[in-house]
Amino acid sequence: MRKPIYQPLLIYALLIFLALLVVIPLAAGALTAFKPQIIWISSPPTWNFVPTLENFEFVLIQRQNLLHLRNSLIVSTGSVTMALILGIPAAYALARFRFRGSKGLLQWLISLRMIPPIVVGLPFYVLFQTFDLRNNHFGLMLAYLTFLIPLVIWMMRGYFVEIPSAMEECAMVEGYTRLQALRKVVLPVIAPGIVATALLNFIFAWNEFFLALILGGRETSTLPVAAGTYVGRARVEWGNLFAINLIIMVPVIILTIFLRRQLTKGLALGLVD
Amino acid sequence: MSTFSQLRFWFYRLTQKYTHWFFIAPALLTLLLVAIYPIVFSTGLSFFRVTFDSLQRPFVGLENFVYILTDDDYLKVFANTLLYVAVTVTGSFVLGFGVALLLRQITLGRNWLRVILIIPMTMAPMAVGLTWNWMLDPLFGLVNWFFTTVGLPIQTWLAQTATARAVVMLVDIWQWYPLVLLIMDAGLAALPRAPYEAARLEGASWWMIFRRITLPMLRPVILVALLLRTVDAFRTFDIVRVMTDGGPNLTTETLSLFLYRTAFNFNKLSRAGAGATIMLIVISIISALMFRYLYREVEQR
Amino acid sequence: MKVSLNDLVKKFPASDSIAVNHVSLEINDGELMVFLGPSGCGKTTTMRMIAGLEMPDSGQIKIGERDVTFLAPKDRRVAMVFQNFSMYPSMTVFENIAFPLQVLKLSKAEIQQQVNDAAAIVGIGHLLKRSFRQVSGGEAQRVALARAMVRRPEVFLMDEPLSSLDAKLRVQLRTEIKRLHQETRSTIVFVTHDQEEAMSLGDKIVVMSKGEIQQMGTPQDVFFKPDNVFVANFVGTPSMNIFDATIQRADGGLCVDLGGLTQPVPAHFPSVSAGQAVKWGVRPEAIKFSAAPSASAVPGQVELIESLGSRQEVFVRAAGKLFSVILDALLPVRIGQSAHLRFEPDSIHLFDAQSGLSLASKPQPKNS
Repeated sequence: MRKPIYQPLLIYALLIFLALLVVIPLAAGALTAFKPQIIWISSPPTWNFVPTLENFEFVLIQRQNLLHLRNSLIVSTGSVTMALILGIPAAYALARFRFRGSKGLLQWLISLRMIPPIVVGLPFYVLFQTFDLRNNHFGLMLAYLTFLIPLVIWMMRGYFVEIPSAMEECAMVEGYTRLQALRKVVLPVIAPGIVATALLNFIFAWNEFFLALILGGRETSTLPVAAGTYVGRARVEWGNLFAINLIIMVPVIILTIFLRRQLTKGLALGLVD
Repeated sequence: MSTFSQLRFWFYRLTQKYTHWFFIAPALLTLLLVAIYPIVFSTGLSFFRVTFDSLQRPFVGLENFVYILTDDDYLKVFANTLLYVAVTVTGSFVLGFGVALLLRQITLGRNWLRVILIIPMTMAPMAVGLTWNWMLDPLFGLVNWFFTTVGLPIQTWLAQTATARAVVMLVDIWQWYPLVLLIMDAGLAALPRAPYEAARLEGASWWMIFRRITLPMLRPVILVALLLRTVDAFRTFDIVRVMTDGGPNLTTETLSLFLYRTAFNFNKLSRAGAGATIMLIVISIISALMFRYLYREVEQR
Repeated sequence: MKVSLNDLVKKFPASDSIAVNHVSLEINDGELMVFLGPSGCGKTTTMRMIAGLEMPDSGQIKIGERDVTFLAPKDRRVAMVFQNFSMYPSMTVFENIAFPLQVLKLSKAEIQQQVNDAAAIVGIGHLLKRSFRQVSGGEAQRVALARAMVRRPEVFLMDEPLSSLDAKLRVQLRTEIKRLHQETRSTIVFVTHDQEEAMSLGDKIVVMSKGEIQQMGTPQDVFFKPDNVFVANFVGTPSMNIFDATIQRADGGLCVDLGGLTQPVPAHFPSVSAGQAVKWGVRPEAIKFSAAPSASAVPGQVELIESLGSRQEVFVRAAGKLFSVILDALLPVRIGQSAHLRFEPDSIHLFDAQSGLSLASKPQPKNS
């Protein structure tokens, strides 16, 4: 079967068009973050300008976004660390042990990923007021665990299944306890998987908006919440907004390029395998 | 045997038999606390009349459910959300699957194209919304600039009933078709080669190969993609909140946004709780059905 | 060290179906015992219970005089070589072999010495600095053997250690394990589904099926005196010719009626009675083949020939049945030629059709 010569050209044209739909908005937005204030609102947009960092300086220092950046980092790293500590052992057990109800338990854990944030957000709001956890980093981290733990279990189980159980069993026969065997033999092998899981979970926590919006307060709001305050203003400060936007997006885009292989695993593998 | 060593034996036996629970318990207990308890609490809430100022909670039975299920706005938003789910899931699935198929036809630059195409999916929906707000801005946006350049009239995309809904859905598809692309790409990569080679030897057409070989083998993967997209679309909040905040005139309002407003702007906590409970039930039914179908599918293979 | 299993029972935790059903056996000190059976027969589960990786639901395991039934694996003084795992990928060959010694709190020099010794015995002394990626599959399996040896365990457990290697390497390593066993006279339990491996390695073989021991004995016992139809069928390639038959009365004595073919009842089956449904079996190697007719030979025709290298498997249709016969490869045989088969009474097996048990009285037939 011979393919007509124009077919690959058509495919490339379409794919490049879709890629441009990604690149143009992001690049144009990124450039705006470096525009001096006077040309933010030039119409049509002008690209002939001397790049400046004044927008970043303004949003980080004057608008206190340095604090929000700090909050985002604390909440994301904190919640991901907690999710890893709690989720990895569970993922290990679900990969290794077959017991009555193990399959159902796994399905149930995975299905927790489907809970709409509003369903947990409302009660969290009420409960956190009672327990004084609103406007508190720890409270937000707890809330994030609802979706981070299932994600960790989901991903890490996939990594554990790939390692033969004979590896730690061999160490156990050779004089070690199960925990020693896990630390000395399995951990070095599974470390890249843990890193990938941690980074992907970090992206989810970092991007989260809804729970941060209702459970955070002035001192604890994260970057997406801070960016949200620009919405609906009569006169939008585009340069400042894109400065924040860029601070939110750049780490994630770098991680995406770095993680592109593991991404699918985290998003679908638990169900596909 | 001494009593001590007998005790040790029993202890070891016990820990051996329940090792898996020692590993699972921390995660399970935490999830009971941060996922199940809130759900139960929220469901309980919806049987009382609770506002933020009065937490003394008179029991009202099904009043909140009755109210919300007869509320025109809620029903309208529910219908909106269903339409939103139908359009964005279909759109992102068709586009994502299509692009995944196209990506397999090429080799040069495939990996780079794929990375660029999946970037929107990993961006904060907040950032996506803001970026497109600017792109679509009537005065400074690139879209209208392009329109004027080719001689079309400027549109206030997000303020008109006619366009706001379509535009928000398009942006949602723009952000989420990469998820389908990624899943389908992995699914396609995992397909065995032999059936294709056999089919080609037998002279089957491209369409026959796709219908009879690719689609049936991909069914579990397709179900996963549809399941994830449906559930995510059903709870959309961020993009709509940023781009239109539900307007104009509720045309783009989604369930999550509506319930958020009911609770936090109108202070009707238990009414929102009732709505959230209904939403959870609907999502559970949808995902349970798809899950069941999926596992039957996987087991049959 | 001696290993005794006493009435071991193990159910699968998720399904409650029985994996090991009342297994009792004794492995003598210095013996190489092979567990042989098809997959899912319970041989690996039995071994894993000896290692402590599974706990029996009931029963007792003793190593020497120690009751180890509920002891942690690390305290049992056993070593195990696994089927799908050979080397810790995060360590070099040296670190791998030293790994079991690290818990013993030995000095650096001692560890060095013992690792070198063990590596020399299995012939990987020159590979000590290599990493997992730099060794072949066979070398990695030798590392596993060396790692098992350094602890000087009381029992070696080997769970299909050779099945992931290619054929030539498998035979080579098999010989080395045999040699190792003869030099050290250590107690070895070896699990395999490959009956040729079992025959060549084992001092004794335990044939298992469906969680139960079918027969235990020397390789000769198992091959020449199968206790039941399962063992007769499972052991030996190509497997035994087995046909349904009934015992009939015939001029004063009894005979076996195979349907279209009548054979005498050999003397070592005194307990059969007329009308009994049996299975009649003869090994392909034991059938006497000749092109020319002779008295008491069954006439037939060659239908198919498969070469087995130095031998050939010839399928002969006789009395409506297809017999597999093993012949020397150099014997000229053509498809379609006439063939005459003779069955020596000594090489005939009879089993009860219902229970599948051998009907032979002891002592049983000698080598055919």
